[in-house]
Amino acid sequence: MAKALGLDKLVNFFRSIKHNGGILGSLRTLYRVDELKFGDLIGEDKYGNKYYENNMYFYGRNRWVIYSPRVHMNYDASQVPAEWYGWLHYKTDLPPFKDPSRPKYKWMVDHTPNLSGTNKAYMPYSTVKTKIQAWQPKD
Amino acid sequence: MFALIGSVQRNLRFSSLRQLQTSSKHLSDALFVHRDSEIDNTNSHFEFTEENKKRIDSILKIYPDGHKRGAMIPLLDLAQRQHGWLPIAAMHEVASILNVPNMRVYEVATFYTMFNRRPMGKYHIQVCTCTPCWLRDSDSILKTVCDVTNCTVGSNSADNLFSISEVECLGACANAPMMQVNDDYYEDLTPEITTSIIKALMKGERPPPGPQNCNRYAAEPITGLTSLTSEVPDRSFRVRPDL
Amino acid sequence: MLRLPLFRAISRSNGRLTSAVCFHNSAANQQQPQQQPELIELFIDDKPVQVPPGTTVLKAAAMVGVEIPRFCYHERLAIAGNCRMCLVEIEKQVKPVAACAMPVMKGWRVKTNSALTRKAREGVMEFLLVNHPLDCPICDQGGECDLQDQSMAFGNDRSRFTDINFSGKRAVEDKDLGPLIKTVMTRCIHCTRCIRFASEVAGVDDLGTTGRGNEMQVGTYVEKLFMSEVSGNIIDLCPVGALTSKPYAFVARPWENHRTDSIDVHDAVGSNIVVSHRTGEVLRILPRVNEDVNEEWLADKARFSYDGLKRQRLITPMLKIDGKLQNVEWEDALVAAARALQDLPPNKCAAIAGCMADAEVLVAVKDLVNTLDSELLTTEQEFPKSGAGVDLRSNYLLNNKIANVEHADVILLIGTNPRFEAPLVNTRIRKGYLHREQNVAVIGPKLDLTYDHENLGQSPDIISQIKSGSHPFCEVLKNAKKPMIILGADVLTRKDGDKILAETQSLCKNIEKTVKTDADWKVFNILHTNASQVTALDVGYAASLEEVKKAKPSVLFLLGADENIKKEDFGESCIIYVGSHGDNGAQIADIVLPGAAYTEKTATYVNMEGRAQLTNAAITPPGMARPDWKIIRALSEIAGHRLPYDDLHELRDRIAEIAPHLVNYGEVEPSNFLKQVYELAKTTQGSFLPDPIDIKQKSLDQFFMTNAISRASPTMAKCVQAVQKQKQV
Repeated sequence: MAKALGLDKLVNFFRSIKHNGGILGSLRTLYRVDELKFGDLIGEDKYGNKYYENNMYFYGRNRWVIYSPRVHMNYDASQVPAEWYGWLHYKTDLPPFKDPSRPKYKWMVDHTPNLSGTNKAYMPYSTVKTKIQAWQPKD
Repeated sequence: MFALIGSVQRNLRFSSLRQLQTSSKHLSDALFVHRDSEIDNTNSHFEFTEENKKRIDSILKIYPDGHKRGAMIPLLDLAQRQHGWLPIAAMHEVASILNVPNMRVYEVATFYTMFNRRPMGKYHIQVCTCTPCWLRDSDSILKTVCDVTNCTVGSNSADNLFSISEVECLGACANAPMMQVNDDYYEDLTPEITTSIIKALMKGERPPPGPQNCNRYAAEPITGLTSLTSEVPDRSFRVRPDL
Repeated sequence: MLRLPLFRAISRSNGRLTSAVCFHNSAANQQQPQQQPELIELFIDDKPVQVPPGTTVLKAAAMVGVEIPRFCYHERLAIAGNCRMCLVEIEKQVKPVAACAMPVMKGWRVKTNSALTRKAREGVMEFLLVNHPLDCPICDQGGECDLQDQSMAFGNDRSRFTDINFSGKRAVEDKDLGPLIKTVMTRCIHCTRCIRFASEVAGVDDLGTTGRGNEMQVGTYVEKLFMSEVSGNIIDLCPVGALTSKPYAFVARPWENHRTDSIDVHDAVGSNIVVSHRTGEVLRILPRVNEDVNEEWLADKARFSYDGLKRQRLITPMLKIDGKLQNVEWEDALVAAARALQDLPPNKCAAIAGCMADAEVLVAVKDLVNTLDSELLTTEQEFPKSGAGVDLRSNYLLNNKIANVEHADVILLIGTNPRFEAPLVNTRIRKGYLHREQNVAVIGPKLDLTYDHENLGQSPDIISQIKSGSHPFCEVLKNAKKPMIILGADVLTRKDGDKILAETQSLCKNIEKTVKTDADWKVFNILHTNASQVTALDVGYAASLEEVKKAKPSVLFLLGADENIKKEDFGESCIIYVGSHGDNGAQIADIVLPGAAYTEKTATYVNMEGRAQLTNAAITPPGMARPDWKIIRALSEIAGHRLPYDDLHELRDRIAEIAPHLVNYGEVEPSNFLKQVYELAKTTQGSFLPDPIDIKQKSLDQFFMTNAISRASPTMAKCVQAVQKQKQV
């Protein structure tokens, strides 16, 4: 009945607003990610990214990440660390902390996001001789 | 398809024939660029003997003013006769006498095979292996020469007495096979005669040149004259009176 | 060698050659228009054509637009007739004839496309290809190869050459002809063009054929450098890839290059060139045909010094900060320069033009300096200002034009070595010597000019002796019909340069009186060495270096001036260097403003005969460098003396105001005031110095590095090394 009248949409809307921390919080989320959703918080990685799931949404939209507020608008898919990547992309249904088979070694390096476009981006220096050799004044 | 042609050719034993399908092989024993060596280098000096200088003067007189460079071949020949072979210094000397650039003399000296630009032995043996001589078994003559002098074609013998060249027609086909030793023709050769000639040369003698194998005077038929057999007319011989 | 010594002997004994000598070069015949010989009519492919007798079949065919393939034939060289590619059928003749060497006969019907002709061509082509390597993919001539093109156009589409094992393909040892010419002698087809060029045009009889038959090879026989100042031309002449450019080896294919027509500025000949470039780099420089200037030759310095355009370049403005030149932005440099130009008293701003300054910058600087109340404008190579000075062009031009040099019958060279100062003028003299019995005499040191000449001595007094008629050379001059006196520009920089100039002019006046020359035949000529000199004199760079030094200018502009300028002479000046290369001038400068080299700007240059020609920008100036005149224009605005032109057209209008002939491109304005020049020369006082006349460039190693570009060029450095090594041997 409620569904037929579309009242469930209204309910979901209010849940979303509640989930995102009220009107102000919702506006902030809307500004950052352009959509409002609600769901269960599955986990949080050490960089502050939060992972949600709500199977009410269609497959493909039911798992999502809200990036750490530290990066503000500069979020980027490469900020998702490898251990959460599998869960987010449906390679596994077990989040990393529930999965006993995940290897953990001392030598595993920390995740680094893609640095292209930042000042830390890798720039190879040219090994080619310059076409024009400039004159150097003799001292 | 080319492979097919090739195999057909091989099967038909045509491979010894040279056809247009291939370019000629380089088998010349002479080098057409100069290489500096101990005895033949651009810094060495060559001078004509006093005797030859007189000869040069008379040779140059033959050629009119402005065409003195025509004397190039006689002068180069003179230098070769004096020195035994033609060093680059001699070419330079000829160039300076004729007042032409050195290159023009190099061109002539490399063009003519009778200018030897490498040291030659005392006797330069040139064995003709052109068709008529070859038909008369000049191969055996060449082999004999090589064996007796212990020397190969295009090189000098160890004692520097002989140099051997295989040459094309020397124009004595009627007396084939033949060979030339320095300026002398030895004709109608057999391997034995060749051996004896070379042995004589080794002793420093000069065997009489000309036909060796028979009592021919020159290139007349071996069986005797077939024409011009009549008496030589006397001095009063004249044209027929009715003419 | 080519000049028949017999005729030489006759001409010596009689004093003058009377017999007409018919040489192979048809240009020799053009000079006798007295009686027009009857024209012969013949038919080329049934097209009638009328030609003068003596014309070859090939030339007659060219007249009706029929191209006969050829390898050995070249318009500017003697006919050899040894490649046989030009065989054509002539009706009622049994055998095909070589069109390049066969003079036409009346009524001939030449068939250039008959079955016989085609068979002959295909046969020749097949034989050539049998002995030619199939290495087109790695051959530098690929794309501009006559053999490729002609085998496409005239060859057969199949070959009987099936020696796929390559058991006996002809192979020839490569020759070492020096650092400029790469040889792959296996590719040689024995056209002998290079040999003929070397002995006829270059006058260096080092190339020839050795051996015979299949073993024949082109080379030098002994290991030897091809020591000529025009050696690069044999690369262009070679129809195959046997002779290619060593610096250009494996660099680019001709079809992928852009080509920009331009003008060479390494000497004052103003040779026409084509700049081949790609991706903002000059890859090579080739000559362009201009019958009045360089025919189709080019000197080696012009052809090979382009790698100097990439080295020792000024690419950022520089400012002397704490006694050291440091890179700065344009604003800083221009502001610093403008500050130096503020509140200058009159005659405290000076400019010295270097050897490669163009008309645009010369005019811009002149305007700027003039607005600052100064007339201190000069060139690094001084020109005497006495007599007519720079007021009359006839005083400083090669009045008789370069093309006429070969028509002269007596040439007196005073203090100049045209072989190295202007190689393409020298080839003209050699042409005259070979084909027209030219007599050449030199006042100066002993020189190798590639042709016989008389050395009259080194003392400048000889000029006076010839003038007064007491010198034996006067006899030769008296009998001359078309005498030319060519005075070197370098000798005029001596202290007694004005006296030498005046004395030579009065000598010319005497000659013109005694010898009845044509009205437009000019006896007095000056051979310049710097490409900018005539332009600078034309626009009025009329001060002398001495005056500039004496005035102690506060600001001194150096327009690429590197020679004769020392820091000590301008101790108090702020030196502003505008130029493309870092050399002596930039080293002593306080402010360096990077300019464009001649391949990077559209600029006007006037050659020694007064012909204004235009270079075109092939590539952009490197880094922050800009065309020179724009720098001056920008500086003028910041300094508060805005020059009234914003683009090239307005600047050219301004140039046209000063000297209209400078924008009359390609033409030579006739110089008509020689009489006045001679009159004004009488006012010159002074006497000769005792020191003998000397010449800077006496041997080939001194030829290669004479200006900032060629000094920066590694190729030129290699040439100098190679020549010096060859000399030691």
